[in-house]
Amino acid sequence: MTDSNQLVAKVRGLVSNQASILVGVLAVLTIVFTVIEPKFFSVATANNILTDWGSVVLIAVGQTFVVISGGIDLSVGAIIGLSGVVSAYVMANVMGYTSGTPAQDAYWPLLVGTIVSVAVGAVVGLVNAVLINKTRIVPFIATLATMGACLGLSVIFSSGMPIGGPNDFNLIAAMDYNTNPFSVVVILVAVVVAIAGLFLHKARFGLYTYAIGSNSFAARAAGINVEKHITKIYALSGALSGLAGMYVYIRLGAGSPSSGTGRELDAIAAVVIGGASLMGGVGRIWGTVLGTLILFTVQSGLIMIGVAPDWKKVVVAVLIAAAVAAQTLQKKNGQR
Amino acid sequence: MAGEVIYEVKNVSKRYGSVVALDGASLKLHAGEVIGLVGDNGAGKSTLVKVLSGAHKPDGGQIFLDGQERSWDSPRTALEAGIETLYQDSGLAPHLTVSQNVFLGRERFVKGILGFFGFLAKKEMEHEAHRNLEEVGIAVPASNRSVSQLSGGQRQAVAIGRSVAWARKVIILDEPTNHLGARQAGEVLQIIKAAKKKGLGVIFISHTLPHVLEVTDRIVVLRLGRIVKDAPTSEFDGDTLVGTITGTIQTIKVEGD
Repeated sequence: MTDSNQLVAKVRGLVSNQASILVGVLAVLTIVFTVIEPKFFSVATANNILTDWGSVVLIAVGQTFVVISGGIDLSVGAIIGLSGVVSAYVMANVMGYTSGTPAQDAYWPLLVGTIVSVAVGAVVGLVNAVLINKTRIVPFIATLATMGACLGLSVIFSSGMPIGGPNDFNLIAAMDYNTNPFSVVVILVAVVVAIAGLFLHKARFGLYTYAIGSNSFAARAAGINVEKHITKIYALSGALSGLAGMYVYIRLGAGSPSSGTGRELDAIAAVVIGGASLMGGVGRIWGTVLGTLILFTVQSGLIMIGVAPDWKKVVVAVLIAAAVAAQTLQKKNGQR
Repeated sequence: MAGEVIYEVKNVSKRYGSVVALDGASLKLHAGEVIGLVGDNGAGKSTLVKVLSGAHKPDGGQIFLDGQERSWDSPRTALEAGIETLYQDSGLAPHLTVSQNVFLGRERFVKGILGFFGFLAKKEMEHEAHRNLEEVGIAVPASNRSVSQLSGGQRQAVAIGRSVAWARKVIILDEPTNHLGARQAGEVLQIIKAAKKKGLGVIFISHTLPHVLEVTDRIVVLRLGRIVKDAPTSEFDGDTLVGTITGTIQTIKVEGD
């Protein structure tokens, strides 16, 4: 083999590697936006993107498990709203910490609020699992139903108004607006994502998730309790959505019933941009992490170069379609 | 050649609504014996396989493993008792690697606290999967390759090798040579012979009668839910086997036949 052949093979290997494609896309986007609008390349923009990233990557990671197992979870956005208003209600009306609470006293109620929020999400996830396992409703419809129920419940619970509560906005602020775009909660989110990634790629929990999405019959024949594992996956997705609800609460300083509306679309977009297959069996955590980053880089960039924010949803839709089309083409080429 | 009776069903029946899928079938399998289970579509082969593998509970009849009466709640209980079943075309998860498939449901964990959380001993399983497959005569490419990258023959070899490696008593193979080329099918038959040598009882279900004639010690013919013939393979040739399956050769008296 000649040197040039080796080089070609190396380049091919690099390009066929999903992670490097995504990093490349991210780099190209950053360069293009910076060329059009030099202010794009700044700590402030990075902070904006990371803050958005934090609110969606948690539900996108839960969605990654669900999608790899061959399912889909449409309730994640609605859980953000419901868990946000329930935990705000508990903190403000049950525990008595109002929005006037000094920041240094806010940590205890915020911790309780986080537990409540995660629990609310997990319960909705369990309802999803029961609908899917016991009544054999397909995940798309089952989670569409719980999505509607959660949206309705959060409006009933909050009378349609945001519920203010205790907060420390320093938690969500950039650590240093000149040098460090990360906030405390974004770093906490990154830690949760990393742990989830380890369980997906290194532990039995992830292996069974792939096995069920790849061939549920084979998984069952190998002795895996498929229903039990599906239950755990939807509970996990719900719990992570609850955690995202708390993140959004800290961002707003209030639990708002509409705060997660439409976020399920962002999560699904991030997952498929990251290379997961909606047919199941395929997907990676870093794909989802980068997919979410690409999603918000595009959204931030478009706004900064002067595209009206109303186009955001259209762009997300186009990205989903493009990512799935790219996957289909890749598959066709792979089969030769 | 064959050892003692290892697996036996007596007089098992199974109905689906008004359809009698299995009507008083009895079968004995010895250690180190390969029996062929043949019959036309709808003869009751797959129902019998499901009863033997624990997927279906029979309506009547008894099941004995090593002389003890047993009943299977699920394939899992049969699996734990030492009965491996390879289902037609569905044995493997294509997105998983060879070793992940071999160890699926039987994972090894790393030591310590990470093992408690279910973290997998990947390298150990890869080495052992490779060794297990080699032992039953399968030259499989690297254990860490995804099954979707293997050819149809290699996949089937891995699926059977997995069953043979884990089976402690009985292995049930449902159409294992389906869709395979002549050479690949030959390899599969070699693996069946290796399983027999290990002292396992093998139940081989196939429509490909030359394979059945080549690899089995005994042939059991099902027709309309009944076992109509159970005889040493040496008593059959291609023509008599076809005749027995289709019913053009009278075997036992079947009412209304």
